[in-house]
Amino acid sequence: MTTAVGTIAQPLRSGLGSAFGVILILLAWDLAARATAGSFVLAAPAEVLNWLVANRGLMGRALAETLANAAAGFVIGNLAAILLAVVALAWPRAERAVMNLALLIFCLPLVATGPILRVLLGPGDGPQIWLAALAVYYTTLVPLMVGLRAAPASWLDLVRIYGRGRWTEIVRVRARAALPYLFAGLQIAAPAAFLGAMVGEFTGAERGMGVLTVRFIRAMDVPAIWALACVAALVSILVFAAIGWLARFVLDEKPPVIIAPAQAVGALGVTARMLRTLTLAVLALALWWAVIQIAQLNPFFAKGPDDVARALLSAPDAAETRARLGTALVETAVYVVPGWAAGLGLGAAIAIVLILFPPIAAVAMPVAVALRAIPIVTTAPLIVLVLGRGAVGTISLVAVMVFFPSLVACLHGLRQAPGQIMDVFDSYAAGPVSRLIHVRIPAMLPAFFASARMSVPAAILAVTVVEWLATGRGIGSLMALSASLSEYDMLWSAIMATAVLAVLFHAGVSALERVVLARTAPEQVG
Amino acid sequence: MAPDPRAAEMKSVASPDIVCEGLCKSFADGTQALAPLDAVFDGGKTTAFVGPSGCGKSTLLRLIAGLETPSAGAVLIGGAPPASLQRQGAIAMAFQDPSLLPWRSLRGNIALALTLAGRPADRTAVDGLIDLVGLAGFGDARPSALSGGMRQRAAIARALVTEPSLLLLDEPFGAVDELTRRQLARDLPKLWEPRGTTTLLVTHSVDEAVLLSDRVLVLSPRPAQIAADIAVSLPRPRPAGIERSENFRALVMQVSDALAEGAVA
Repeated sequence: MTTAVGTIAQPLRSGLGSAFGVILILLAWDLAARATAGSFVLAAPAEVLNWLVANRGLMGRALAETLANAAAGFVIGNLAAILLAVVALAWPRAERAVMNLALLIFCLPLVATGPILRVLLGPGDGPQIWLAALAVYYTTLVPLMVGLRAAPASWLDLVRIYGRGRWTEIVRVRARAALPYLFAGLQIAAPAAFLGAMVGEFTGAERGMGVLTVRFIRAMDVPAIWALACVAALVSILVFAAIGWLARFVLDEKPPVIIAPAQAVGALGVTARMLRTLTLAVLALALWWAVIQIAQLNPFFAKGPDDVARALLSAPDAAETRARLGTALVETAVYVVPGWAAGLGLGAAIAIVLILFPPIAAVAMPVAVALRAIPIVTTAPLIVLVLGRGAVGTISLVAVMVFFPSLVACLHGLRQAPGQIMDVFDSYAAGPVSRLIHVRIPAMLPAFFASARMSVPAAILAVTVVEWLATGRGIGSLMALSASLSEYDMLWSAIMATAVLAVLFHAGVSALERVVLARTAPEQVG
Repeated sequence: MAPDPRAAEMKSVASPDIVCEGLCKSFADGTQALAPLDAVFDGGKTTAFVGPSGCGKSTLLRLIAGLETPSAGAVLIGGAPPASLQRQGAIAMAFQDPSLLPWRSLRGNIALALTLAGRPADRTAVDGLIDLVGLAGFGDARPSALSGGMRQRAAIARALVTEPSLLLLDEPFGAVDELTRRQLARDLPKLWEPRGTTTLLVTHSVDEAVLLSDRVLVLSPRPAQIAADIAVSLPRPRPAGIERSENFRALVMQVSDALAEGAVA
């Protein structure tokens, strides 16, 4: 556990760094707007400000609505995460199943669950709140599980030596030990809840920032689109900072930078692995079927696994359905994979460059952490506006979405290099490059891979939102189309296919991670 | 005079004998930490275990504490398995690492043991112990504000606060500087000796083993077996300067030789 060794210089320097970063961004923005004046792409800061002042009533009402939905979803999602974590911990045999199902549900594309929730729950606030909850529960669950397991073994021995069981362990030791991790999760959850609420509003709400976004995209009102994105970003950064401040107020220790769980420990044979995957699949299908049955959802909207199987395999138009689905999936994958790889690579590369210049890294870290809080998807319209509806725009959006978490994770990992080992290198007068190659990059890899895994659902979310809002291609567009044409068999098939592909993609990254970490950081894979 | 049967019973509760019967421990990865071990540790006495690093001393202590399950054989403490003593809050252990919860004050950490043992949080008892281990005035301090030696003393105070019948000390002075270490080794036994607590101590220091215990068991390299069993008949409480006495030095030599032989055998 890191105890805060608070020097006065540190917060001051990072505060100055943030201010400097903001001024730099504003300046670059203004210059860019001047350069592209007349092309209906970029609104200058002054234009955005003017628009905000002129429309402050409209903006205020929309913001209040979205914030209320996001807050409700934030509470529900985080409570669900805490509940799941306690279940997984109190009942260790269920842990793997709980975590895998949680990941699977997190991989469901929000742009598809949105319309379904819309038809099931009607035009009110329900879908926005549920989407906000869905967007946050996994990002809280993951650090929480890490935190609950982070208690040193001897603290738990202490509980056991007095004959106390798991429950006392959780209440007396683990819960408190996990608090800093919970706060780290809540920080990331705040902008995610905002994003979820906005995506929910994209699907046909009556009020809110998402509704305004859709309206202004249709009207091509450039200053308005920029104003919305700026407000969304600013609010997210403020909430992110507020939770960080609260954490410092409540806790003695600094919140840890947690990106994702370490790889599950334990070498499993191929058969065991396949058996486990099969169990998970059966469990997921059973859960899907059970929810529809128990909630008595309208069978016209709510399709079960049997309906999807029929639509894909035995229906008269099954071949056509499969073909449309396949084409759309390929179109999406073509954007997701390069964007994801580019964002990750760029994040790692810039982190490595920054770490070679420590003063710059010290300034860049708080800026990157703040920018990570921007719900990038809410800026999707902007990026499409700037870069067009083609491949470049979409891939760039995914890259930006993946870039900030990757940069933060890699910077953190690079700084994790053990001081004593660095001292050994210093004692041989090794240069910065040699230290980078032999110590820092290996120390970075676990964080890099963790962020690579966690970025998979984010990348898919980004692409499907752009496809749905703007480009009219790929699985996102197919889902929007089938929702509006009431082709619910197709919609559910698309959701299932996307979720399965996301999980496979995630599993592929995990496999690569195991191979690489087994060579560079064996303690992480056990 | 015929011994009072009630007194004998009282003794077995307050100062239980420990019996290890064919005690064995292998871990999942195949390492055998402990060869079948048969031993009796007398109630009310202090037994020290010394042996080379990684020989299984700590595993033995953890088996007796009921923190590990034996692969074969059993541990009986006053005739009962460790779990039943655990439930009575009758075992306490000081770990290699002080293992204080960073978010609790020193007082809160010591009181936690009482809570876990299902006893009322007796503030006078807690504060009394804080004074005894020489931490008076630090009751409200967080562990992060204490030095390593102070934390170790706090951990020992926590182990003692429940007045356990069985006290397990796993290298409790490991992270303490030499000077404090000597002082602790001289002062702390005064806290448990009068109560007749059965005490088991794992240590790397031969001097410490002789100074603190009534019996030193020298363990062989893994899988641990008893290589030598040396009785320590020195006066209790140990007089000041006993480390310089001929008897003490002779015992230290005897244990050191056994340790060296055991390592070769």
